Amino acid sequence: MPLLSISVFLPLLGGLLLMALPNRSARIAHGVSIATTGLTFLVTLAIWARGTLPGGFAQVEEIAWIPAIGAAYRLGIDGLSLPLIVLTSLLFFLSAIYAARITDRPAVFVALMLMLETASIGTFAALDALLFYVFFEVSLVGMYFMIVGWGYEERQRAGLMFFIYTLLGSLPLLLAIIGLYLATGTFDMRLWIETPPLTGLAAMLALIAMLFTFAVKIPSFPVHTWLPAAHVQAPTVGSVILAGVMLKFGTYGLVRFALQMTPDAFARAGLVVLAFGVFSALYGAFVALAQSDLKKMIAYTSVNHMGYVVIGVSVAALTLDPDLRAVALNGATLQMVSHGIVTGALFFLVGMLQSRAHSREMADFGGLLGQVPWLGWAFILSAFASLGLPGLAHFPAEFQIFLATLNAQPWAIVAIIAIVVTAGLYLRAIAAVFLGERNEKWAAMPDLDRGEMLAIVPLLVLIIVIGVAPSWLLNMIDATMRALQF
Amino acid sequence: MARDLSFLFPELLLASTVVLMLVAEMLRAPRLALAFGLIGLGLSTALTLPLLEADTSVFGGTYRVDLLSGWAKLILLPGTALALLMTRAEIAGKDREGSVYVLLCLVTLGALMLAGGGDMMLLVLGVVLTGLGSFAMVAWPRDDAATEAAMKYLVFGAVTGSVMIYGLTFWFGGAGSTLFSELGALQDKPLIALAGLVAVLIGLGYKAALVPFQFWAPDAYDGAPVSVAAFLSVITKVAAIFAFAQVLRDLPVATGWPVVVALIAAVTMTFGYLAALVQSNVVRLLAYSSVAQAGYFMLGIVALGTSPLALPSVIVFGAAYVAMNLGAFAVIMVAGRDLDDFKGFGRARPVIGVAMVVFLLSLTGIPPLFGFVGKVLLFGAAIEAGYLWLAVIGILNSVLALAVYLRIVVPMYQAREGEAVRAEVALPLLVVLGATALVTALMGLFAGVFPG
Repeated sequence: MPLLSISVFLPLLGGLLLMALPNRSARIAHGVSIATTGLTFLVTLAIWARGTLPGGFAQVEEIAWIPAIGAAYRLGIDGLSLPLIVLTSLLFFLSAIYAARITDRPAVFVALMLMLETASIGTFAALDALLFYVFFEVSLVGMYFMIVGWGYEERQRAGLMFFIYTLLGSLPLLLAIIGLYLATGTFDMRLWIETPPLTGLAAMLALIAMLFTFAVKIPSFPVHTWLPAAHVQAPTVGSVILAGVMLKFGTYGLVRFALQMTPDAFARAGLVVLAFGVFSALYGAFVALAQSDLKKMIAYTSVNHMGYVVIGVSVAALTLDPDLRAVALNGATLQMVSHGIVTGALFFLVGMLQSRAHSREMADFGGLLGQVPWLGWAFILSAFASLGLPGLAHFPAEFQIFLATLNAQPWAIVAIIAIVVTAGLYLRAIAAVFLGERNEKWAAMPDLDRGEMLAIVPLLVLIIVIGVAPSWLLNMIDATMRALQF
Repeated sequence: MARDLSFLFPELLLASTVVLMLVAEMLRAPRLALAFGLIGLGLSTALTLPLLEADTSVFGGTYRVDLLSGWAKLILLPGTALALLMTRAEIAGKDREGSVYVLLCLVTLGALMLAGGGDMMLLVLGVVLTGLGSFAMVAWPRDDAATEAAMKYLVFGAVTGSVMIYGLTFWFGGAGSTLFSELGALQDKPLIALAGLVAVLIGLGYKAALVPFQFWAPDAYDGAPVSVAAFLSVITKVAAIFAFAQVLRDLPVATGWPVVVALIAAVTMTFGYLAALVQSNVVRLLAYSSVAQAGYFMLGIVALGTSPLALPSVIVFGAAYVAMNLGAFAVIMVAGRDLDDFKGFGRARPVIGVAMVVFLLSLTGIPPLFGFVGKVLLFGAAIEAGYLWLAVIGILNSVLALAVYLRIVVPMYQAREGEAVRAEVALPLLVVLGATALVTALMGLFAGVFPG
């Protein structure tokens, strides 16, 4: 059974089915949405059960597409893409559950979300560069319409900024892909990884193009400015998908394309990339500290967390010690997964708070822990995870990244200051919103209902499981990373 | 002779169809003319299929039956059929209705001459044949705007046409033959090659609306019926691009023509989108956007002779362009010419709204739509020919393009003040919308059927 193709196109089929139904009421739309995303999640679990191969890609599926130019429909997974695929299908499943309260044009919303899931899983699973680019861009269109159609006050401007920014960002990647294609005559990413086709200046130019694209997507300083606007204006589900899934396109591409296809150039430019990573991590943390809007604050911590991933990947490129490389890349990959889970949870929780209070300003709240204990404790747990508390999801990832950094590029360890700053900002947010003087305005605020519990509890469980016992995940990542050739 | 004629079945059939349509129009039977036209175009398309593999020329090398002219027929003939249906939806029942149908098919015959021409005389014939019919079609509404537009179009066409004929005499003098295949003789006569090149750029650049010969396009499109504007922006433009390909692939690269064409391409893309950015009339907006698209076509033309991707890229983007541009104009026929007419359009007519989004995103070059596949091939061809800077300009312009097309998409999903009037959409128009939307949305996935 071509499980990968099924997981990619099942959501799209669900969306088309919904569009074909004569009755597209909210009930039916969300029913289709939950059923499709749930089924897709099960399929990705089955893909997980089939497992990966150490070194190289597993479960490859291939069909001719444009044979004249060597483009084909090629899918496959390894220890880098599989965790991200499962993360994607899980986050979409939970988003579908949470989105069941949307009543404004529900069928169109669901169709867009399902299209976005197809694009997201496809991006991680594609082994053909042209196909990758197709999925990569389709996700952009889907997210644009989601922000513009269901976002908050400033949605038109934020959506436009997001679209133009990321389109301008992704076109250099197309140039790099065409360059790699002209050097080999195929779009098969496996061949490009096996024997990196470009050398010298051409490789450096391709790398710069790719770095630009992925830096926008990650987002890394100085091309991160679209992120706060898009996040704040996007609907809750949009924020969760944007932070949990779509930012990973950038970091995934950084490893899959930049590191694996132009390794020598990456090693030469490694210090520059590392410097950007360090600066992003620090910058994101300090700017987040300055925010009074909860959603904006979490958006900026994404800049910080993704900065750690950039640090991990560039450290791996700079060092020659294979053990250290594996540690750095394991940390970076785990960080992608942890960030998806933790930040996904945080955006859900802020969305839940906003739907109750219609405000995201910290100063508007106070003493909510007694009023809404479930929401409060869930937020506190997620916030502690996000600041890197041992025993929670981010710790094993960031620990490995910093371990490798300290061994390979000791100066870059200054980024660790960012952890202290994040700790400060989360404690401040918790104190302002959930502790302290009780604001009587919110005396009638209800705690989480069943649908919200269903959306948030799996994430909380995963935060603890990955924090306490990450080995089930790390072993698979490690097997791939050790065999990575670059 | 018989062999030569056997290769020309599609063209001969189209010519006889035009005669039959003329008779029908004389009998004041426009619907009969329309039926003749549709059947004739369909049959010609079918007759093209067995000739697709041919790579030869007829009548002493003056007319080429090759990959380019074969695909030109496969693209332009169905495109004209769709344009006929659009025209029917727009002007059904009006006076002189049938004459537009006749002219459409006649211009298409000229377009085939352009796309298959292997000789300077045939090139001139094609330019004149497409020109004469087009002037008349633009003037068809007989109001002030149309008359002015047609006058501009005619004067501009007459001047550029004469300059082209004058310049072509240089090539004839230098090469000693009117055949393009003899142009290799200009290898070490750069000045003569340049004189003729400028002439061809003026003559065909006017047809394709390349900067700086684009002035007529917005006025002519806006003065003419929308369906005629759609036809002009698609059929004559693609024919002119294919004619460029036929002429320039025989001109030695050493004469330096690719640099000239590359510069024009860069200016055309950028100017077209910048001008489109400030339009409030959607027809004029699309007119400038099709100026810019002509610039993209030139990316493929630049690579002729140096990249094997050049011809396929022009053909694939040609097919994509015909589908998506016709579709976008068809939506204008439903919504209206003004940008304000699009406010709330996507909510009032969800299906046609989605179709418009597909057309516009495909014009931008968003995957996996058809326009994207064409653009990838065009960029690939230009890069392979060593014009990386041109591809970069093309890519930067894609962002400008997005800004241009989002100016239509964004208001489509805003709330509309007042009651939306939902007029019935004519059946022929629905057919056009369906066909173009399907091709635009899905052909990208089946791009394997195109040559490469």
